[in-house]
Amino acid sequence: MPRIIACYKWVVDEAYIRTDSSPELDLEYADKKMSDYDRNAIEAAMQLHEKYGGSVAAITVGHPDDTKGVKDALSRGPEKAYFINDPSFENLEPAQTAAILADVVTAKTEYDLIICGEGSSDLYAQQVGPRLAELLDIPCVTMVSKIELAGEQLIAERKVDDGIETVSLSLPALLTVLPDINSPRIPGLRDTLAASKKPVIEIVKDELSGDFTPCLQVLASFKANMERNGQKLSDEAADIALLLDTLQSKGIIARGVK
Amino acid sequence: MDFKLSEEQELIRENIRELVKKYLDPIAVEIDESSRYPAEVIEQLAAGGWMGMPYPVEYGGAGLDYVSYAMVIEEISRSCAATGFTVSCHTSLASGPIFNFGNEEQKQKYLVPLAKGQHIGAFAVTEPGAGTDVGAATTTATLDGDSYVLNGIKTFTSNGPVADTFVVFAFTDKSLGGKGLSAFIISKDNPGLKVGQHFYKMGIRASQTSEIILKDCRVPREDLLGKEGQGLQIAMSSFDHGRIGIAAQAVGITQAALDESISYSKQRVQFGKPISKNQAIQWMIADMATDIAAARFLYSYAAFLKDQKQPFTKEAAMAKVFAAEMSTRHTSKAVQIHGGYGYIKGQKVERLMRDAKITEIYEGTSEAQRMVIAGNLLR
Ligand SMILES: Cc1cc2nc3c(=O)[nH]c(=O)nc-3n(C[C@H](O)[C@H](O)[C@H](O)COP(=O)(O)OP(=O)(O)OC[C@H]3O[C@@H](n4cnc5c(N)ncnc54)[C@H](O)[C@@H]3O)c2cc1C
Repeated sequence: MPRIIACYKWVVDEAYIRTDSSPELDLEYADKKMSDYDRNAIEAAMQLHEKYGGSVAAITVGHPDDTKGVKDALSRGPEKAYFINDPSFENLEPAQTAAILADVVTAKTEYDLIICGEGSSDLYAQQVGPRLAELLDIPCVTMVSKIELAGEQLIAERKVDDGIETVSLSLPALLTVLPDINSPRIPGLRDTLAASKKPVIEIVKDELSGDFTPCLQVLASFKANMERNGQKLSDEAADIALLLDTLQSKGIIARGVK
Repeated sequence: MDFKLSEEQELIRENIRELVKKYLDPIAVEIDESSRYPAEVIEQLAAGGWMGMPYPVEYGGAGLDYVSYAMVIEEISRSCAATGFTVSCHTSLASGPIFNFGNEEQKQKYLVPLAKGQHIGAFAVTEPGAGTDVGAATTTATLDGDSYVLNGIKTFTSNGPVADTFVVFAFTDKSLGGKGLSAFIISKDNPGLKVGQHFYKMGIRASQTSEIILKDCRVPREDLLGKEGQGLQIAMSSFDHGRIGIAAQAVGITQAALDESISYSKQRVQFGKPISKNQAIQWMIADMATDIAAARFLYSYAAFLKDQKQPFTKEAAMAKVFAAEMSTRHTSKAVQIHGGYGYIKGQKVERLMRDAKITEIYEGTSEAQRMVIAGNLLR
């Protein structure tokens, strides 16, 4: 009967980011959403819960305005949520996010398994999961595409470059999951309406045991620019040679290819 | 006053969008072409609790407010107007009267499976000789022992071919005029009820429409809905609710036309620049967006009044006539923006233009809406 904690991040929905002629990103109309792989993390937790019983709680660190995210997370099934928030917790460095989560998980929760998404939709630093496991001093398995429980043992499949690796470990443990692990269900109408009635444990900065003043400051965000030369080349030998020369001189392909 | 959706409403909208994108978008063209009822999508909607949205949880519904309900109908219709209407007809026209006028046994027996989406509902008032003039109906219900015997033909019954439960109107006493009309709940298993001709339609082709033939159809007395003679009131009250859904459906259709027009006009290059750079195109798009916003406020306001338990007959009629007429106007403009490509099957705007027209006809024509509005103002 595993007690599971699913971590999620409430991020800017890239679909709403506008770009115009200015170099900066226009976030004015940007809505927020649950980070994509964190949906998989919650779904994975719910599927384990449906199969093996136990409990599922959601946890997040964010801005106090991110209450919609809490409802969203709860509509996906968890029975309660830990909402750690402060106006300064908007652009946290992944190491700090992990430290804050570790602080609350240690002080306020009991768990057998923690599930995170492999990386967040905005930064994709893949840091929070492994760092959190390290701080809690529990084993961590990343790139997980399948989970099964056998008593106290957890069997996880990892999708790595050269194939699938099957690992077994004992609980408590932390997993970071890939999107391949499941296809998250779309919350039904009753799930959304029920979410508002589930308990939310709010934790503000003063209640944390460390100093978590953000060490990262975002000054501006610019859009990635792809410069195009607009140079047209034919399939004539001279043009092909020119193309190779140009690519080599820019260091895009290695010398000696000719 | 508050124009902002709550967080809950935003989540509901995102979820229905996702569901529709996953299950309805991929088949919308096919079900229009083949006039196929999308049973698999209706099953998904039922599983998510979208088939009994405004009814209390104890009757199998979700207990949703009407503003959000209408918003969901808009979102479904934005993908497929026929499916939006199937849900709206099932929910407001068929389930609505049972919730509003049914007794406890009727609610348990009929509303619960309807609201859970296990059963589909239909509403049959229109007859070949009685459209706008509901009172001209000739279907009769004669009391014989413990049951009524119904005889007559209903036409244009939406969901008729797929429904499990029908709300049917018949005269228990023709001599009383409108006060002699009564409403009955009839199961599809009743041997006296037969699905007649299916209609082959211009638009909302995935919505199933047929005749319903009542031949010595015995309906037990306990399935009389409300009281004898209450039929006209029940029908009119159902239309009041239903019209909010039709207005939302029209807004969904037009929003889709706007979405398509924006993306197409930015892509289509003529005279060396996207056609969206021409003021002529820009004005069509600006007018479309403005009318959509106005129509959305109108239906939301009618729904809000209903949620507040205030009269909303006039406002629902206003929302419906405005939304329907702007929808036919602008879906035609959307085809115009697409030029020849907009006239070709498979282009979404071609379907939208055909789908829009029905919103001016059913649940009371535009003329009938104006009669309702004027009747309210000139009392
Ligand atoms: C696809 C579809 C689905 C439908 N679904 C259902 C359903 O589920 N259940 C159901 O019961 N019915 C349904 N209907 C019937 C629909 O509600 C009627 O078609 C509608 O009420 C109009 O009736 P009619 O077609 O007989 O037109 P008519 O009433 O004959 O009207 C013809 C024209 O005359 C105008 N007119 C009529 N009377 C007046 C007047 N007094 N003053 C000014 N103008 C007037 C009308 O506005 C219209 O323009 C459906 C119809 C269609 C096409």
